[in-house]
Amino acid sequence: MLVAIFLPGFSPQLMSTSKIEVRNVSKQFDQAGSPVEALADLNLTVNEGEFVSIVGPSGCGKSTLLYMLAGFIPATAGRMLVDGRPVTGPGVDRGIVFQEYALFPWLTVYDNIAFGLREARLPQREVRATAERYIRLIGLTGFESRFPRELSGGMKQRVALARTFAYEPGILLLDEPFGALDAQTREIMQDELLRLWRSTHRTVIMVTHDVSEAVYLSNRVCVMSQRPGRIVQEFMIELDHGLNREEMVLSQAYTAIRNAVWLALRRQVTLASPRAQ
Amino acid sequence: MNVIGAILDHGSRLLPFALLLAAWQGVAGSGLADPAFLPSVGAIGHALIDLGATQSFYADLAVTFGRSLGGLALGAVIGIPIGTVMAVSRQAEGFFGPLVKATYSLPKTALVPLLILWLGIGTATNVVAVMLATLLPFVVYTYHGIQGVPRILVWSARAMGVAEHRMLWKVLLPGAQHAMLTGLRIALGFSFVIAIAAEMIAAQTGVGKLMFIYGESGSYNYMFAAVAAIMLLAYVADRITVAVSNRLLRWDDIENRLG
Amino acid sequence: MAMRVIWGMAHWLGQAVRAAYPLLLLALLWEVAASMGWVRPVFLPPLTAVIGQLVALMKSGELIGPLAVSLYRTVVGLALAISVGVVVGFLMARIQAVRWLLDPLIAFSLPSPKVAFLPVFILWFGIDHLSKIALVAFTCVFPFIIAAYAGATTVPTHQLWAARAMGTSSRGLLLRVIFPASLPSLMSGVRVGVPYALVSTFTAEMIAGGGGLGGELVLAQRYFETPSVFVYLLVMLAAGYVIDMGVLRLRARVLRWHEE
Repeated sequence: MLVAIFLPGFSPQLMSTSKIEVRNVSKQFDQAGSPVEALADLNLTVNEGEFVSIVGPSGCGKSTLLYMLAGFIPATAGRMLVDGRPVTGPGVDRGIVFQEYALFPWLTVYDNIAFGLREARLPQREVRATAERYIRLIGLTGFESRFPRELSGGMKQRVALARTFAYEPGILLLDEPFGALDAQTREIMQDELLRLWRSTHRTVIMVTHDVSEAVYLSNRVCVMSQRPGRIVQEFMIELDHGLNREEMVLSQAYTAIRNAVWLALRRQVTLASPRAQ
Repeated sequence: MNVIGAILDHGSRLLPFALLLAAWQGVAGSGLADPAFLPSVGAIGHALIDLGATQSFYADLAVTFGRSLGGLALGAVIGIPIGTVMAVSRQAEGFFGPLVKATYSLPKTALVPLLILWLGIGTATNVVAVMLATLLPFVVYTYHGIQGVPRILVWSARAMGVAEHRMLWKVLLPGAQHAMLTGLRIALGFSFVIAIAAEMIAAQTGVGKLMFIYGESGSYNYMFAAVAAIMLLAYVADRITVAVSNRLLRWDDIENRLG
Repeated sequence: MAMRVIWGMAHWLGQAVRAAYPLLLLALLWEVAASMGWVRPVFLPPLTAVIGQLVALMKSGELIGPLAVSLYRTVVGLALAISVGVVVGFLMARIQAVRWLLDPLIAFSLPSPKVAFLPVFILWFGIDHLSKIALVAFTCVFPFIIAAYAGATTVPTHQLWAARAMGTSSRGLLLRVIFPASLPSLMSGVRVGVPYALVSTFTAEMIAGGGGLGGELVLAQRYFETPSVFVYLLVMLAAGYVIDMGVLRLRARVLRWHEE
């Protein structure tokens, strides 16, 4: 049973209180005198347990939005609420995974994964148990004492994911997490992420430029406009996740949604630059 | 095979030295140069062995290197905190920055006469001179090291609950290790130069003065031997620093290893 | 119109003060401490006295002359260091045997305090110009060898292949590809080597006498002429600063094309 629903415009408020609310948010950067408007009047609602992907043209501000949700950058205007409370800074309720992994190079795989757990002042026994569980989960048993420099890109990203999942933040913010990986590793990692998400049911917001990835992983895809960024279209994705990758990707429903999203994105990409073919 | 390979490798690295000594001996022995100006390898070797058995030579070496290391330690104790503060505080950067830029171009050996005026001739002057010379590398490398820690590492730590006041210890200083150890290596080199130069300027105890004594008394082979001993010591000290650094930095990329 | 000019100047002045305020503070502190007699003038003469002495020394020729001597020694020593260093560095990059021969010797000599060789140079060359030039050349040749070697060995292979495919001879390759590609590295060598050269000259003069700013500095100290000591120090600082700026300008010009 493969059903896909397309819903342009803003997302329907069906569920209970939303986990994340972004209302009329704008962001202006002051680059050497001349201001740059990164986001203008952006609205977004994310419900608990959702996996939302944000796609958009390069430079549209999608990473900026993510960093603002994470609390690293303040908004110039508008409100951002998490669990009904405004975002004032970074916090352990919002975990972040960067494209460049951001592993601490001076710590081993084990110490990287245990980092957040230790910060939470968990008892030693629990830290050890959780860290080891995640190392097993990502399939890196035996690599505990290795340093990041000894790992491949895919392994590094697995450690980065494990590190953020381990201390169980309610929300996961992923900034193009697989952008630095080759195509095959990327597919493997996407399935890893799905597996981690399904076993934990956290809320995930992922920024990506890869439409196929967005459709494959999420239950909602938001399309952003060119700078200054706004959400211009949203797609509810209802694909049967009981299928394996081959069945899913080769199915007509998947292809149909993927094409629709791609077209929507394409429109945004070509909008401000008519000469771009 | 591995052992033989290692021996051959080390041996081949020593061969150029043997060739150099052979060339030296060739020029010295041929009578082309006055034997006073170019003592034979044998004469220098003899002097070196003799120095190796002389208590006072070791005392002189200890004095010189003691001053360098003492000044180095002081430079680190003062310089690293200044560099750190500059990296984390805008006001500190605004205050110390111009001072650093201004003194950057000043040859630190030039401060020795001024220090002699202020502190007289003695260990204090030398140690202070070394301290002032090593201050800059420690400040600059610590500052750049901390500034160079990628933003996303700090952000990740924040997101995982690291409080601002612990950021320095948990993320910034570890991330700056490489730069700081490079600064240490450079400061070490400076410390030897300044210590010896200060001794030579102020004509006091230590190997700097010793070499001039040998020069003045015409014991040129001893003079050359002392130079060789200093070269060896500086080389060993540098190697130790590099080995310790690489151990501390074993997590770092291979290309970034200190050579 | 005049208002705009005045406002512009005031703004610029304000910025300059904000940028250099620690120095101005220090200068103020100096002048106050010395004039109020908090420190004995033999230790810290008033800033005004130092400036006065600066003028006096310039008039009497005891400043420009020694400065010229020091600069002469520095320049000659540098010229030697650059010519020998770059040639050796490129040779090492090109010929394996040269690299095998020199690499251990350079690695061993690099950490040595080169000033330890000064007694040897004095023995060989006396206490006039040559021993100072020798110290400068010996100290500064190393950064240039290393920079030239690094520059020549890190030319992207694909650039070399592209040139070869377009019919470049070996000599042409060296002149038109390897040398320009090495310029960033060479410029780094210059940034390191030039200050070293100046320092070595002053140090050698302070130790061995024989004129130059370093020699004058030590003489002033021996006769307890503290204002002169400060004058020479400040002139050395200024010389170092001006030369640094010059090097940066040169670097910017030479590396106009460079991506950074």
